[in-house]
Amino acid sequence: MIFIAYLTKRPFIALLVFVLLMSLTNVFAQEYTLLPDTVRLEDVIVVGYATGSDRTISGAVDKVDEEDMNRGKISNPLDALRGKVPGVHIPPPTNGPAVLDAVRIRGTTSLTGGNDPLVIIDGVFGDLNMLRAVYPADIESFTVLKDASETAQYGSRGASGVIEVTTKKGKMGVFSITYNGRYGLESVYRNLDMLSGNAYRRLAVEQQVGIVDLGNDTNFPDEMVQMGHIQDHYIAFGGGSESSNYRASVGFIDRQGVIRNNAMRNFTTKVDITQRAFQNRLVLDIGVFGSLLKNKYLNDYQKTFYSAATFNPTYPNHKNPVTGAWDQVTNASQITNPLAWLEVKDDESNAHINTHMKLVVHLTEQLKLTAFGSYTYNVVENSQYLPTSVWGGGQAYKGTKKTEYLLGNLMLSFRKDVGNHHIDALGLAEAQKNTLSGFYTTVTNFTTDGYGYDNLQAGAVRLWEGTASYYEDPRLVSFLGRVNYVYGGRYIATVNARTDASSKIGANNKWGFFPSASLAWTISEEGFMKKYPVIHNLKLRVGYGLSGNQDAIDSYTSMQLMKPNGVVSVGGSPTVTMGTIRNANPDLRWEVKQTFNTGFDLALWTNRLMFKVDYYISKTRDMLYLYDVSVPPFAYNKLLANLGSMQNKGLEIALGLTPLETKEMDLNINVNLTFQKNKILSLSGMYNGEVMSAPNYISLAELNGAGFHGGYNQIVYQMVGQPVGVFYLPKCTGLVPNATGGYTYGIADLNGGGVSLENGEDRYVAGQAMPKVMLGSNIAFRYKRLDLALQINGAFGHKIYNGTALTYMNMNIFPDYNVMQEAPERRIQDQTATDYWLESGNYVNFDYLAVGWNIPLSEGWKKMVQAVRLSFSVNNLGTITGYSGFSPMINSYVVNGTLGTDDKRNYPVSRSYVVGLNVQF
Amino acid sequence: MNATKTNRMILILSSLFLFSCNSFLEENPRDQLPEKEIYTNANAMYLNTVATLYNYIGGYENSQGLQGTNRGVYDLNTFTTDEAILPTRGGDWYDGGFWQGLFLHQWGTKSSEIRATWEYIYKVIVLSNKSLETLDEYKDKLTAIQLSAWQAEVRAFRAMYYFYLMDLFGRVPLVLSSSTPMSEVRQSDRGEVFRFIVDELMAAAPHLPLERSNHQGEYYGRVTRPVAWFLLAKLALNAEVYTHDQWTTTSRPDGKTIYFRIDGEQYNAWETTIAYCDSLAAMGYRLSDNYISNFAVFNEFSVENIFTIPMDKHFYRHQMQNLFRSRHYNHAKAYGLGGENGSSATIEVLDTYGYGTDSVDTRFTICYFADEVHDLKGNKILLDNGEVLVYHPREVKLDLSGSPFEKTAGARMKKYEIDPKATKDGKLSDNDIVLFRYADVLLMKSEAKVRNGMNGDAELNAVRERVGEPWREATLPRILDERQMELAWEGWRRNDLVRFGLYTRAYHSRPQLPDEANGYTTVFPIPEDIIRLNTNLKQNPGY
Repeated sequence: MIFIAYLTKRPFIALLVFVLLMSLTNVFAQEYTLLPDTVRLEDVIVVGYATGSDRTISGAVDKVDEEDMNRGKISNPLDALRGKVPGVHIPPPTNGPAVLDAVRIRGTTSLTGGNDPLVIIDGVFGDLNMLRAVYPADIESFTVLKDASETAQYGSRGASGVIEVTTKKGKMGVFSITYNGRYGLESVYRNLDMLSGNAYRRLAVEQQVGIVDLGNDTNFPDEMVQMGHIQDHYIAFGGGSESSNYRASVGFIDRQGVIRNNAMRNFTTKVDITQRAFQNRLVLDIGVFGSLLKNKYLNDYQKTFYSAATFNPTYPNHKNPVTGAWDQVTNASQITNPLAWLEVKDDESNAHINTHMKLVVHLTEQLKLTAFGSYTYNVVENSQYLPTSVWGGGQAYKGTKKTEYLLGNLMLSFRKDVGNHHIDALGLAEAQKNTLSGFYTTVTNFTTDGYGYDNLQAGAVRLWEGTASYYEDPRLVSFLGRVNYVYGGRYIATVNARTDASSKIGANNKWGFFPSASLAWTISEEGFMKKYPVIHNLKLRVGYGLSGNQDAIDSYTSMQLMKPNGVVSVGGSPTVTMGTIRNANPDLRWEVKQTFNTGFDLALWTNRLMFKVDYYISKTRDMLYLYDVSVPPFAYNKLLANLGSMQNKGLEIALGLTPLETKEMDLNINVNLTFQKNKILSLSGMYNGEVMSAPNYISLAELNGAGFHGGYNQIVYQMVGQPVGVFYLPKCTGLVPNATGGYTYGIADLNGGGVSLENGEDRYVAGQAMPKVMLGSNIAFRYKRLDLALQINGAFGHKIYNGTALTYMNMNIFPDYNVMQEAPERRIQDQTATDYWLESGNYVNFDYLAVGWNIPLSEGWKKMVQAVRLSFSVNNLGTITGYSGFSPMINSYVVNGTLGTDDKRNYPVSRSYVVGLNVQF
Repeated sequence: MNATKTNRMILILSSLFLFSCNSFLEENPRDQLPEKEIYTNANAMYLNTVATLYNYIGGYENSQGLQGTNRGVYDLNTFTTDEAILPTRGGDWYDGGFWQGLFLHQWGTKSSEIRATWEYIYKVIVLSNKSLETLDEYKDKLTAIQLSAWQAEVRAFRAMYYFYLMDLFGRVPLVLSSSTPMSEVRQSDRGEVFRFIVDELMAAAPHLPLERSNHQGEYYGRVTRPVAWFLLAKLALNAEVYTHDQWTTTSRPDGKTIYFRIDGEQYNAWETTIAYCDSLAAMGYRLSDNYISNFAVFNEFSVENIFTIPMDKHFYRHQMQNLFRSRHYNHAKAYGLGGENGSSATIEVLDTYGYGTDSVDTRFTICYFADEVHDLKGNKILLDNGEVLVYHPREVKLDLSGSPFEKTAGARMKKYEIDPKATKDGKLSDNDIVLFRYADVLLMKSEAKVRNGMNGDAELNAVRERVGEPWREATLPRILDERQMELAWEGWRRNDLVRFGLYTRAYHSRPQLPDEANGYTTVFPIPEDIIRLNTNLKQNPGY
């Protein structure tokens, strides 16, 4: 029992023990069904522009097929991939129904941007946003390229990894219709515990402070929530003949969030047609996909949940019947009646349409010419209205962003097998042009909320800075050569050479060269390995390559240009003037990441135990960063320049275990572990003949809210010699009694000379914000027609700053702001940010448990229906963590103003129950 | 086709391809324009080299603008003195100890606000340098008169920013070109910077229009000759301070021995001040009959105001946040505006005005909200709990948390007429923000006379008479008190206290810092982050 108690405190060890126990069962399950399981290994893998198989690939590539994808509540394709590939972090879906946050492959490698992976859907380049244009069930497989020996194929865009999506196509000679449907309910199981109306009143009496008591007992955090709804429908059909095939689908995803007024709807459609001609010498593919995604956002997370938590609980949960408006607490200037916040409209409609065509001409047996063209049109319309109850005079915003992506490439590929030699090679020329344009306008001073954002004439004032339009059209040109050579099925060598030119880069540095090479040795194919039949596959891999990043550069940054900078009185009338608005840098270059990768694949007992290990070390140099520069001589204090470097190291382990595999029963356990280590090596260098360096510590995330403006509330920093995102905090010596019977945070005098809260004084590096270890694991069990899958994800080794507790435990904010239930007894009267509220962020989350049943069909039914499957899943079962705050699943990955800080953005934690029906005709 | 032909073909094709590549990769910006497309004619030159600079005189972001915003020039000149305090009110206004730090003179060398203020001023200076270079580069598009007038306007404008910079930071680098390499950015002694500013203003003044800047029309909001004169008067009045290069170790020079040359004549500092004050009087500046009219919603007609930040809620972006952050929430709400319940008068201010005595200066109720206040219809203002809002001026202290007067302590900023049609919570109003006005000129003249051993009674009492206050003999302490009462909330207090040698003294809620008596806090530290980026710079003494 003690051991179990110990384990519950250390979930990571518990999991390891669990995995160990499961693998022991393997020893007892000696009944090998020695089926040749080579199918998986021989799967065709599309690696960038090339295709190959595990036998011919020498780089680190991970493929996730449909059967391995997540089940349960899937709102977008990334939900299907979460936790499946080591080194790939997809944020947990705890932040409401609509948020598709940044994805990180092998961590953060750039400081300025461009950390999102490149997404490629059937050859079409895009971003994470484009992934939402595809219904998850349309996806046949994901291929994740992490290592530069493969990402180098994408040169300037591959530095943050590549997610390639291959969608389902019609199959020759098979006609099918599929229906997938899901319905689910979602309810909040954890919300903040603030003082109730009665407790608030009692405390006011005890403390002899005057309060505004409107006589109610309202639990505002609970008033914000509702029962969430999940509804998905999807129909696809396809078929094919000798010469052509087709597939078409429509999908509908509907989410009503657990917070009122928070919802998402997505309509998708996709059509693919393939035509073959001239004895299959010519293959023509045409594909179209499109989507219309509608989101109802919460306008300001922090303001919404901060208000809900701290609003006076004696206020009613309805409008004041006399004034017809929401009652406000005027003394609490940083919050607004949370129920009034729910009346804020923040809607987005995001329409995507893509059409692409591929022409393949088999010139000879060996030689193939491929021409590919793609056009994507994306329109995002944002509409916001802040009613007069939350914004003086009301404010409406309407804006449209249009993006057109045009991509074309021409590729010649060659493939030949002679005896033991296999060679495939390709040459490619590619051009890309993106056109970004848009406009927006902001209107204030409404006399009625009735029009919302639908008639901007209802507002009297259009602020000069609230209206603008923009246009830019960055372009890229690239050439690639790739040779892949295999000898005797054992020795594999791949060389890529890509050169890219970007219009955004300074005139002298437009072209970047990104070569890579990798080698692999399939030891298990060697003659001497015949002695060890237990080893089914053993392959050693090693690779090195360069890849680039230019996403951090905005168009025109290399040129000194003039923009409207304001309105002044000229000759007595208001006149717009122009001015420069930033420091230009004509010397901008590519940011380059070099990666060394080595690893091995091991499969034992005909793949009953599969083991894949990769170690990598990468260095980003010429790092693009918005450096601080001295004013004067510069006019502006930031300059985008290529200086400094950063290192990332990591170990990725994937373990697949099949302890049981019989006709009746299967048990599959997959565990992947990712160890990541990041370090900023340098943030200095030469610019224009002068030494430039960034400050020793740069604040990344700070606390917000009443009394937190400015001052020393910075929590997470970026420091040279440390990982990106470290907690750099004053050390708390404990709670110190003060004169009024409460406590304040004692602060250690770390660097002598008296305690100073100033930036950089008396602070120490107290931990890192990004996890050191990440876990993804899946246990799948099948008994006859019943199957069960449990997905467990976790993260370890990082810390979280509990700014929520620091704020809500501070009795000084009472009674203007409500406090947490424990606050009165703790009697803390201080909100100084120290390491007191810095906690371990380790957690293990049970993402879902899914049960499926393939219904047996009678012979009569079988004539019409191929398969019927019923499923049920519980999503977000629970979390094991030592973190005392609301949920450890905050932003621990993306470098922005929220990194590592749990600061009053507490979206309630919910659990959903989903039933699903799949029918295949 | 033989091999050479094929090769040639390939060569031609590929060079054609590369050529088209190059044009394909060229950026053709459309929503931003290169300079040569902007400076096309004289009018465009004026707009985008001269007028463009006036965008920076006010602002809406923290630390931007000379007045009207938070955490910038104005706050460093105001909340560091005995004139105003921003007390911590429970969960509000602690802000990491920033405001307390200002009041206690414990702002440290790493304050991001002080750095932002430095960067704001230098941004405007570097952009002014750029404007001067552009005027020179494209001078063929201008007449000689245009060129000299516009150069003079930019030089005077830049000198004004150097004045604020030198006043705040003491030893600063004189940067006069937009392409100065960092290795040449080195500090000059305060006296040298001072002489540069005076010379620039004197050189520019004759080319500046002899026109009023505060009136709407051609010269509205611009640096005209009287604006330069006001600055010269102010510079001369502070000449003792500004020529004091070793301010922590040596004694201050005597103004009677600091000389200026005006039209070939030599004057000492006080005579110089008087001379420029007289020039302003000769131009027709005078006291408005009504004190309040200088701060009215439509104060563009004032005969007293000299230089203002033009405000118009529909046209300009400059904001006035000083009132917004002072008034109680319900008080502001009663006007249909927003408030942040913050800045208040200090105990010293109350005493100077005689608040609570029988003879309260009449300007107290003009400049401050105290005790019970009313909405525009004269009704009492109620708090959320139904009680009447009453400000308690004497309850003010640095940290009010837990005090029964946490939200109501302190007399609040009034001064500017309420613009009930103001937008953005009241931050966008039509009252022009007053930077320089003639009452200050009279008080400067009175002070210069007294310091020069003359009688300054007439000027002091002209100011007092306008507001119905009795005659007083002009002595230095009384002039300082008068400046407090007349110029409350106008951003001059730090400058005055430093000149009177009282900036570092202890007062209510503020003990003197160790070593502060040597005067090291009379200038702010050179921001440490700036020194780190440019290691040629040296910290001011004492920090």
